[in-house]
Amino acid sequence: MNRGVALDVVGAVVRLGLAAVWLTSGILKAVDPDQTYVAVRAYDVLPMAGVEIVAAILPWFEIALGVLILIGAGLRLVAALSAALLLMFIAGVVQAWARGLSIDCGCFGGGGAVAAGQTAYVQELLRDIGFIVLAAWMIVRPRTLLSLDTRTEHMGRT
Amino acid sequence: MGGASRSEKKRRQAEANRRLAAAGIRVPPERNRTPLIVVAVVLVVAVIVGVTVLLNRASSTNVTPTYTATASGAVVTAGTGRVTIDTYEDFLCPQCERFEQRYGNDVTSALNSGQITVRFHTIAILDPSTTPPGYSTRAANAALCAVPAGIYPTFREKLFAEQPAEGSAGLTNGQLVAFATQLGAKGDFAGCVNGGTNNAAIAAETNAAAADPALQTDGQFGTPTVAINGARVDLNNTNWLKDAIAGK
Repeated sequence: MNRGVALDVVGAVVRLGLAAVWLTSGILKAVDPDQTYVAVRAYDVLPMAGVEIVAAILPWFEIALGVLILIGAGLRLVAALSAALLLMFIAGVVQAWARGLSIDCGCFGGGGAVAAGQTAYVQELLRDIGFIVLAAWMIVRPRTLLSLDTRTEHMGRT
Repeated sequence: MGGASRSEKKRRQAEANRRLAAAGIRVPPERNRTPLIVVAVVLVVAVIVGVTVLLNRASSTNVTPTYTATASGAVVTAGTGRVTIDTYEDFLCPQCERFEQRYGNDVTSALNSGQITVRFHTIAILDPSTTPPGYSTRAANAALCAVPAGIYPTFREKLFAEQPAEGSAGLTNGQLVAFATQLGAKGDFAGCVNGGTNNAAIAAETNAAAADPALQTDGQFGTPTVAINGARVDLNNTNWLKDAIAGK
């Protein structure tokens, strides 16, 4: 197996990994809108109306990113959007930590205030950084096996 | 344009490019826009779905409470309906605010029309969640002060509408009194709030509720909790109120 094919395979694994992350996190948020609202509100950044809008759109946006990555459409752009969203999550967790709030990030459902000793900011940040590495791979090398991008590319070349 | 003629066009285009290439002329490859269009469409659909869900869940115009309320200890009994519903709420609890947002109008309508009696159990389990601690009890006390002041239904709604964030200082007693004055409180509301008149009753009710196994979820008491005839109602059933009124 030559190097290019091997990298395509790694790319596909990276892609499926990030797709699974977005689909899981998005679906868990979408099925419990009240909990998602509480989670977004706990960051204490947005006014009530802003919390309402973010909590309503975020789950579906995450699911959309997951679907796009899964089918492999516009991978470089979608990976960049993913990285940008993950950076926003990191900013949210860091500001909560810095301000001394005790919250659960609500990254995969759940969320809201927790008891002072129950925070897991380090783990949450490391996890988000791990996801950014996946997104970064796809920004650098969006070519993978079985993606809509490569299929339409071939169509274009004929 | 049919598939056949499209591929024919592509073939001719490729043929032309080959001839240009043979002549030493480089044609930049045409950018394929399909993936970007797919991305845009999927993201727009996601936003539309989110907004639609939000609008569907948003409660319609606020129902004005016309029911009356009496208090015994930290339990406020409202309405005169046949079906009795016990609710346990903490005014700092964000899930209680969500619950009020989602079902408040339905509960108020059912109370107004005499279909239900609600016993609002005024609970304070989140005292440690404000800095300084104690907002849950202060808010609960103020809600109970609102009963003799004749403004409980509207004041209770106000406490949720103005709910402070966990981790904040909470509303001051001055703010609580100002809301009550705005809503037309009678008597010495400020004295009741500043004196913590109902604090002992709130602590007793909170301890009693927390110790009642019938109210626990996975061995833990939390708010909001709703019970009918002493048994906890599953709030994952979004028809819980209709079912309760129907006697199911």
